[in-house]
Amino acid sequence: MVRVVSVATAMCLWSSTVLGQASSLRELSQEQADNRTVIGASNEYLAAGAEAIRAKQYDDGIRLTKIGLERPTPPRDRAAALSNLCAAHAAKNEPDAAIGYCTESIEINDQNWRAYSNRAYAYYLKRMFDQADTDLDIALAMNPTARQMPQIRGMMNERRLRGRVTMEEHQ
Amino acid sequence: MFTAASTAAVCGIAAAKDVDPIGTWSCVVWGHPEFGDERVLLSFDTTGVARLARLENEAVPAWNGLTAWVQEDREMRFSDPRTGRQYLADLRRENLGGTWRTLTTTGGWWCGVADVTVIPETREEREEVLPPILPLVTATPRYPLEAIRAAKQGRVVTCFFVDAAGQIVEPEMIELSDRIFREPVLVALQRSRYEARVAGDPLRPSCRSYTFSLDRLAQSEIDIE
Repeated sequence: MVRVVSVATAMCLWSSTVLGQASSLRELSQEQADNRTVIGASNEYLAAGAEAIRAKQYDDGIRLTKIGLERPTPPRDRAAALSNLCAAHAAKNEPDAAIGYCTESIEINDQNWRAYSNRAYAYYLKRMFDQADTDLDIALAMNPTARQMPQIRGMMNERRLRGRVTMEEHQ
Repeated sequence: MFTAASTAAVCGIAAAKDVDPIGTWSCVVWGHPEFGDERVLLSFDTTGVARLARLENEAVPAWNGLTAWVQEDREMRFSDPRTGRQYLADLRRENLGGTWRTLTTTGGWWCGVADVTVIPETREEREEVLPPILPLVTATPRYPLEAIRAAKQGRVVTCFFVDAAGQIVEPEMIELSDRIFREPVLVALQRSRYEARVAGDPLRPSCRSYTFSLDRLAQSEIDIE
């Protein structure tokens, strides 16, 4: 289980397309979904933390990210860093901590689909499938092509659905 | 058992030659479970005449006229004025069979060649034409994990023949709501057996319909490692 989480988290971080492109002056946009997870070079600790999480060194990633968050950080970067902490804790099977960080991230930037996706995974770990579904729906609305959401929903379906096959013989 | 030809048919590959409907066929006709299945003889001649005889257990069967059968674009059509069923067959299959529909119901039919020209009148004679086949081992298809993950439900109707040894041969998919259900159904058929009959008994047509459905577990039933 943890292995799956790790893979999902690593993919989530690795697939970020805006690494290093964050503008600290940019205002939070409510109109465009933010797919950022990894922090840019403006905060070396956050960048290093993201790298460590990507490398599945979750404890190092959490420690570095927390140091980075103690420094002045633009809201979008702060939200992305909190989402990273959420992903790391989810990967460590610590859903309560993960949900807290994701929720904090969403409060700062509610346009980051990764934060919803990460929180959905944490809800999944807690068997809170309705809440996970809600977050997955939001994340999918922001990024319909991301692979993470169908993956998480598939894992939930595997747990909450039971297949039944009925047969009729005709002769 | 599962010949290359049947595999091609299952995979949706057209057979090299269309099935020729001319002749007499012993068929199973199925529809809504409440009405049960019917065993009938169907007869088609070269002039377009189509006839049907019900092989019910006690009643003395008789040929009933159907509408003239027509062939269009490798499809065969005819209807039964008595029941209102409109029959359709895709002649590209390996065997004669297909679907039927009325205004309110649908079903299917599947035939094997019947080596008879006269309707068998007695029960014994009918059993000789359509010897009863009894399931010996009935395997249930597994529900594909990928289908569960994708929350897919579906229905499969497969028709096949049962040889004298009780083996299932030449399965074809009459209805397949999603390809994901094909493999488990074929595996289940391979694992299924019927009771052996007298050596030399003709192939006997039979069909099975499978419904794949998903039940949502209660929260207390959900287990996470």
